[in-house]
Amino acid sequence: MALPTHISSGPPASPSRQPVYALVGNPNCGKSTLFNALTGLKQKVGNYPGVTVEKKVGTAYSQHGQPITVIDLPGTYSLAARSPDEAVTRDVLLGRRADTSTPDRILCIVDATNLERNLYLVHQVLDLGRPVILVLNMMDLAARAGLNVRAARLEKELGIPVIACEAVHGRGLIELKLAMSRPDLPLARHAWDIPAAIAPAVGELQASLIAHDRKAPLLARAEALLLLTDQDSVRVAGSSPLSSRTAELLRAWQERWSAAGTDWAGTLVSSRYDAIGQIAAQVVLRDGTVGPSASDRIDSVATHPFWGWAVLGTVMTLLFLSIFTLAEGPMNWIDAHIASLADAVKTALPPGDLRDLITDGAIAGVGGVIIFLPQILILFFFIGLLESTGYMARAAFIMDRLMSRVGLNGKSFIPMLSSYACAIPGIMATRTIEDPKDRLVTILVAPLMSCSARLPVYLLMIAALVPGDRVPLPTKVGIMILMYALGTFGAFFFAWLFKRTLLKGAPPLMIMELPPYRLPRLKDVAQHMVERGWLFVRRAGTVILGISIILWFLSAYPKAPEGTPPTQQLAQSFAGQAGHALEPLIKPIGFDWQIGIGLITSFAAREVFVSTMSVVFNVETTDDDTTPLRQALLAAKWPDGRPLFTPLVCFTLMIFYVFAMQCMSTIAVVKRETNGWKWPIFQTCYMTGTAWILSFVVYQSGRALGF
Amino acid sequence: MNRMPSPEPMPLCQLPAGATGRVCSLTGDIHFCQRVREMGFGESSCVTKVSGTTTILCQVSGTRIALSHAAASHILVEPLVQK
Repeated sequence: MALPTHISSGPPASPSRQPVYALVGNPNCGKSTLFNALTGLKQKVGNYPGVTVEKKVGTAYSQHGQPITVIDLPGTYSLAARSPDEAVTRDVLLGRRADTSTPDRILCIVDATNLERNLYLVHQVLDLGRPVILVLNMMDLAARAGLNVRAARLEKELGIPVIACEAVHGRGLIELKLAMSRPDLPLARHAWDIPAAIAPAVGELQASLIAHDRKAPLLARAEALLLLTDQDSVRVAGSSPLSSRTAELLRAWQERWSAAGTDWAGTLVSSRYDAIGQIAAQVVLRDGTVGPSASDRIDSVATHPFWGWAVLGTVMTLLFLSIFTLAEGPMNWIDAHIASLADAVKTALPPGDLRDLITDGAIAGVGGVIIFLPQILILFFFIGLLESTGYMARAAFIMDRLMSRVGLNGKSFIPMLSSYACAIPGIMATRTIEDPKDRLVTILVAPLMSCSARLPVYLLMIAALVPGDRVPLPTKVGIMILMYALGTFGAFFFAWLFKRTLLKGAPPLMIMELPPYRLPRLKDVAQHMVERGWLFVRRAGTVILGISIILWFLSAYPKAPEGTPPTQQLAQSFAGQAGHALEPLIKPIGFDWQIGIGLITSFAAREVFVSTMSVVFNVETTDDDTTPLRQALLAAKWPDGRPLFTPLVCFTLMIFYVFAMQCMSTIAVVKRETNGWKWPIFQTCYMTGTAWILSFVVYQSGRALGF
Repeated sequence: MNRMPSPEPMPLCQLPAGATGRVCSLTGDIHFCQRVREMGFGESSCVTKVSGTTTILCQVSGTRIALSHAAASHILVEPLVQK
């Protein structure tokens, strides 16, 4: 069974359509870097409905200025997909996706420092019978590791264009674009001999797939090989189930091999690796004198059983310390400008509903949230640094021991770490988890990790809990770390519980690649930080502004008779009535109806709590000067004169926000990822139920102890 | 460097840190075995254990790979004696 020998392929079928290139490769081989380098600023990032991980579609331009569509596909080690994200890559390449153009050509990117392992996927891609350009990326790192990878020799061995490249430095891009511009590209020469024991089965399956499953001949051959690489034929077939004839034929062959004791799946993989080993021996020259790499030296500390934990602890402490210290100046600046803006509006406009709407609704609501922008930016900058250096995988490695105790593995920790920024990308990242039960458990617990939207709530409560400069910085940092730790341990506890009750299963066998450390590309980190910051600002300018205006209306109407005190006005307003309706449920945890209004509105997004407090407590004030929210909270009282925001209530409120599911966007994503309402409803109930119970225990215990 | 295979296979988790072994067989779940093979842990490949007792860190053809203890116990290696 040989691939077609060295013939050329013409340009895409329809000359009017711009050519479509799929970008494929192993995880961590620099695909996204190359994608960004090729598409420049024109790339768009889009979620495809209903399925798996994010994939990117962008437009690159050939050396002759012709537009080319480039699809960046999720990284995978093999076309025998095991997880939902890998299935996207397989299905796009096999032309199974109705929403994605079948790629005309394929850009296979490989990590030159690990050619053999990367060539395994290339080998499978060559079976697809499409023109392939091989990009040898990270040639600089290979040279540093003492590897001389001879691109010309590889090109000769495979018979396809091979471009040496350093995508991160933009080297090799012109040569790559020239190759992409070629009207005809050679198809790979004969790559390997299928083992004799398997070859007849491949032939029969290919014929059956063409006859009964209406597959194109070359794709049928590739599918036949995949069916013989993965023992789970239903998984391989994915959304296009096998015809009964093909399924029967496959079963007959499997039974025959089982009876003969032939390890057919293992044989195919070994045979490919043998062929690849022969190529690699011709292509890679090794310099044996090169000592341990910088990554090795860093790993000896970062993954050390003791020092690894110390490094992780230091990184987290530094993160929270910088959130408090570095952000102070910019926050004061924003605060001062918001206050002066509100005062300017109050001076310019006559007293009345319009002025109150602008100052007490829009400015107070949006300003109350936007003030936390510097801290959000710092959080995303740190997370970006961790992601770009390769430390995230080490954190997962360190956490694996703990994760295995709760029945998950370190791989689940990466989505959980991402959830510190926002639960939505964290939940999307679970698509890399192979076991469906483990994936579901991770989805269920990921929102317990404290996301950036909780940060404004924590910061406001810490400010109210420990007012002024009396309390040293370490106490504030300590409380913040405590909240993050509570969420993390809560996630571990519920993962443990779910793995033993609802979603029982054996602990997964973890195998995870640790990428080499790289110096962070500050430009990329800053760009990511600005993008996320802009999302935060946009949300403040849209959702939060909208809610603030509606809330102002709900708190200002129906109007009480002239001369009614502001507190009475708020109490009899629509918002006040809703808060009062909720009060019996939240009074046992120390919250009054005004906090209740915040709990209701922050169901849209957690940070709305802060804007709600700004609106609610500004509505109450009679003076014309804008009062800082913290002071307004400290002045708030129960009807009997007791202070409302006591340290115990502030602490309880933080506990509530650690555990409660207060995010509509997360619920929508969980619904999409689990294909139904069952799990998001369950998740909302268990999280909010836990939040109430823990808040009750903390508040009542605190009261009993005299706080 | 001359390496002589030892006759006694052992699970990768029991290989001492710093030692190199040759994978002689994979046991357990067939899907796991296949994924491990596809990631370069196939029979006859050489693996160096870097560190770890519960979660194992090892090096296979230039790549650093983390394996849970259970996963490493399914990979049988024969230690290579360095002379």
